[in-house]
Amino acid sequence: MSGAMDEAKVGVYVCHCGGNISDVVDVKAVAAELGKHPQVAISKEFAFMCSDAGQKLVIEDIKSGKINRVVVAACSPALHELTFRKALQRADLNPYLYEHVNIREQVSWVHKGDHDAATRKATSLTRAGVEKILRQDRLESIHVGAAKRVLIVGGGPAGLKAALDSAARGLKVTLVEKSGRLGGHLHEFDTVYPGGQSASELLGKLLSAVSANPAITVVLGAEVKTWDGFVGNFKAVLSTGDAVNAGAVIMATGYRHTAPSAGEYRFGKDDRVITLPALIEQMKAAPRGPLTRGGRAVRSVAFIHCVGSRQIEGVHAPQEDGKVNDYCSRVCCTAALHTINALKERQSDLAIYDLYRDIRTYGRGHEAIYEQASKNGVLFFRFTEEAQPEIRESSVVVKDVLTWNQEVELPADLVVLVTGVKPGEVAELTAMMKLPTGSDRFLQEAHPKLRPVEVANNGFFLAGACQAPMDLVESAAAAGAAASKVAAVLSKDFITLDPYVARVDAEKCTGCEACLPECAYTGALFMNGSKKAEVNAALCKGCGACVAVCEPRALDLAGWSLDQMEAMVDAMASEVAP
Amino acid sequence: MKAHTLVIGAGIAGLQAALDLAEQGRQVVLVEKNPSIGGRMISLSKVYPTLDCASCITTPRMASVAHHPLIHTLTYTEVLGVAKNEDGTFRAHLRKKPRYIEEDKCIGCKRCEEVCPVYIRDDFEHQLGAKKAISIPFTNAIPQFPVLEPQSCTWCGACANACPVDCIDFTQESRDLFVEVDAVLLATGFQLTPIDAKAQYGGGKLRNVISSLQGERLLAPHGPYGRVLRPSDGKVPDSIAFVQCAGSRDASLGVPYCSRVCCMYAIKQAMLLSGSLPTADITIYYMDIRAFGKGYEAFYQNAKAMGINFVKAKVGRIREIEDGNLALRIERQEGTAQPEEAQHDLVILSLGLTPQWNPGQLAWEVKTASDGFVATPGAPLDPAATTQDGVFACGTATGPKDIVDSIMEAGNAATEVGKRLEIRAPMVPGGAS
Amino acid sequence: MEHATSLGDKPPKILIITTIASSYTGANTVGQARAQYAPNTYILRVPDPVMFPEDFYLRCFDKGFAGIIIMSSGSDCPYEGAYGRLSARVGRTYLKMKEKGIPTTRLKLTTVCTVCKHAFLKEIDDMQNHLKEKAA
Repeated sequence: MSGAMDEAKVGVYVCHCGGNISDVVDVKAVAAELGKHPQVAISKEFAFMCSDAGQKLVIEDIKSGKINRVVVAACSPALHELTFRKALQRADLNPYLYEHVNIREQVSWVHKGDHDAATRKATSLTRAGVEKILRQDRLESIHVGAAKRVLIVGGGPAGLKAALDSAARGLKVTLVEKSGRLGGHLHEFDTVYPGGQSASELLGKLLSAVSANPAITVVLGAEVKTWDGFVGNFKAVLSTGDAVNAGAVIMATGYRHTAPSAGEYRFGKDDRVITLPALIEQMKAAPRGPLTRGGRAVRSVAFIHCVGSRQIEGVHAPQEDGKVNDYCSRVCCTAALHTINALKERQSDLAIYDLYRDIRTYGRGHEAIYEQASKNGVLFFRFTEEAQPEIRESSVVVKDVLTWNQEVELPADLVVLVTGVKPGEVAELTAMMKLPTGSDRFLQEAHPKLRPVEVANNGFFLAGACQAPMDLVESAAAAGAAASKVAAVLSKDFITLDPYVARVDAEKCTGCEACLPECAYTGALFMNGSKKAEVNAALCKGCGACVAVCEPRALDLAGWSLDQMEAMVDAMASEVAP
Repeated sequence: MKAHTLVIGAGIAGLQAALDLAEQGRQVVLVEKNPSIGGRMISLSKVYPTLDCASCITTPRMASVAHHPLIHTLTYTEVLGVAKNEDGTFRAHLRKKPRYIEEDKCIGCKRCEEVCPVYIRDDFEHQLGAKKAISIPFTNAIPQFPVLEPQSCTWCGACANACPVDCIDFTQESRDLFVEVDAVLLATGFQLTPIDAKAQYGGGKLRNVISSLQGERLLAPHGPYGRVLRPSDGKVPDSIAFVQCAGSRDASLGVPYCSRVCCMYAIKQAMLLSGSLPTADITIYYMDIRAFGKGYEAFYQNAKAMGINFVKAKVGRIREIEDGNLALRIERQEGTAQPEEAQHDLVILSLGLTPQWNPGQLAWEVKTASDGFVATPGAPLDPAATTQDGVFACGTATGPKDIVDSIMEAGNAATEVGKRLEIRAPMVPGGAS
Repeated sequence: MEHATSLGDKPPKILIITTIASSYTGANTVGQARAQYAPNTYILRVPDPVMFPEDFYLRCFDKGFAGIIIMSSGSDCPYEGAYGRLSARVGRTYLKMKEKGIPTTRLKLTTVCTVCKHAFLKEIDDMQNHLKEKAA
């Protein structure tokens, strides 16, 4: 690697992004200015660098020997850094000899009004990228062995399916369930929408398959107590004392029903007011005959939707953490209508009123359930968030938007609050595992559109309603998707990790040990036999805390060295001719 | 040709499933009937609720697939038949359509496109723009090969003269291919309900009534006009209406179901419109707003806060009045009972989703359900299985779905395919089988 | 000691140190929203600013940056204990700045998340206004 600096020939490519950049930044001027740099061999601009043609441009320049380092000034590296690293690989160049400069999200899109300044800034930033890559080594990815076991947290249907799917791929599974039984919320239902299958039959299928599978170890009544390690080699100790060594983790911690807040729709004050899960439980316990409440026959029921969902600050009482549930709980509309149809089937003369904000029967087979409810004579009333229904002595009053805000008084022997869902209680677990959660408190996926079952943290995956409200079909799909990712990670004998870890120049190290107290990761940084600092690359997370205190600059972060950062600052600070 | 799996359809679901399988060490043949991979997603403007630019987040996936050593991608290729062999494998009969260029020579330089004198309507732009009779389908297409449209070509030879690598071949014919696989995955996607299906909405004849996919192109950063203009006269619209459920929840169209994505794409388009045309009035006529997914409700509330009008109303009829403007007869379902007329200068119909491809046309036991989409008898626990053992389905092949739900299903389908392969073609330790 | 901030008619430059996990993405979010801010701002992307010794900041001032905003990941920080170490380091940097007569207000440690659009813009505004006041 020494001597690389003087032979370095950098190729600079400035992307138009089809006008996204070039409408604001004078990309030709940027390319021309960078072309003056003594170590820049090629400096071009191109309409779409990310396109096959753009990548080909880079590959051909590398292959022809004109360049051996690449800087692309384009969109955010989140989008295309990997694209170009792979392009370098295809051209047989070390993929880390690549620097991606962001002149779209952080220049052209935010400085629309000042083309000159934007162009100067783009030039400075691209020059900083060149200075960085000139000081970059050929890094190599790190390979770590992988324990061919997956730890699944949560034994509801998503956890069960993920366990079966993983076991079917030749992996060992440890399935940890907090409660004393597997099956989660599937126990609550009689039948599931949209197909109307028996919940207990579905559950029976899952449970017998799991218990028949020798690769799956189920630990009931247990929680993860301590957590350590990294992808390929996570180490957990359970509350039962069992130690688990797993290569990957699937979170399947599920959901909880929201409870109406104190006095909401007179819940807790009026025993006619119950929640949908309570109604489902009651119907399951007494599967035939007319519905009763307090020993008396029920002749009319009013359902009120969006209790605990789509809440609005100032209108609804906040949850325990002071925030309202402003999200839609996704499953409640269809669940309520499915239950309504079941009620109608056993008691056709039952008067049912459905008070809703929007009916969200979005899924395959859901709309038919809604239509069936209409055919069954259910009357629908639409209320707005500003004018919520009011519970009276033996009725419900709703300002019905559908009949031009008429106030309608509906008899109701029973009021069913269609409650929403919130994530399982995982605060301690996520703190221990350092997993991100969103403002809705659900576990946060790596990308809400493209990577719904992955987590930013390596080796963690999400299955089912721990990520967002979802029904059984969707949970099953999510579980299968999570198992697919796990299979990809653990199917190889080694897991490949980024090389951005601390490293030591033994010649410079004075053995002062100032770095040791800076490192938060046990075993990652230590003094070796020759009294020099040494780094365990598989354990180092690459935070760089040790780098700051190393006076002789023996410690550095691969890919993010202090030298590189200083050279970038110098390039940014220097003036660009207008 | 032999592989572990045939994936039919290279939209986002097919791409994701192919990638997942390949990452597990499985060989995939990915077949796509269009000249580029990327499906519907690559043609969208931005995606909800993140407002990520669709082509920015699709291109990396497309490139990963195109460059994956275990994925063999066949574009511009139709599936003529799939037969199940006695040993449980499948034999697929594919037909590669002629592009009229030699792909191994072409460098994608576009010289042919520059010199071609014939303009034709651009399918990628949903007829809003024009392209040359020989052209690369769109900017980010993968592969970057042009396609010559023989129906429009005048055989003038200009392209052949201009081609620096001499790769134009006017005599090229389709080529049949046969692939043997252990499993088949259908990711055949959706199409919109036809814009001319409803006579009361002009039967497709009103120039300023456009489809939602046309709306996507109008709003795409490199769309046909580069900005939002209406088709009839190029005027910048200042009053735009979205008509929801224009192709869904409507038994008369044979689409009684909810198409699941229209509420959100309309809200997204409305937000983008209000960004590019800050003074325009934007109205969404709807029955129910179904913002059910993660982050969707907040997105809807943001749209309301931005001043987009949400009117709960049915649109009974649309007719053209002077200057190409449109009069909508609306029946409000809130506020007032009187039918009224509203005028807008551009109307976007939120058309519904129907299957792109009917697997029933092949001689195999893959059945569709009453909604026309591939039947999934294993649902809820096994949503990828079809009525044929060894054939799986995901994405909008099994019903309307948005991108994130399609991606989840694609991952699940990869798992189900992987489970079958684990039995039929176990992995050899330390490498691909 | 204010020599580094006087760069003729151009506004003084601000260095923004961002983290891969949080604020760099936050800056992208600002871009995606097309929110506009002054172009005299230069974003440096690092795994975590905890890697910088005190002298790094002094060097930046020396090289011509008038202000530095460290946008850390705060409680979202993926690295154990890094935020505590970082703030201690910034504290020591303030002492060194005082010794050299550099106003400590030219260095700001704050937290910006992946969607903290407003926080991002406000921090820039605040630093901008502060530097303007100083210049006036």
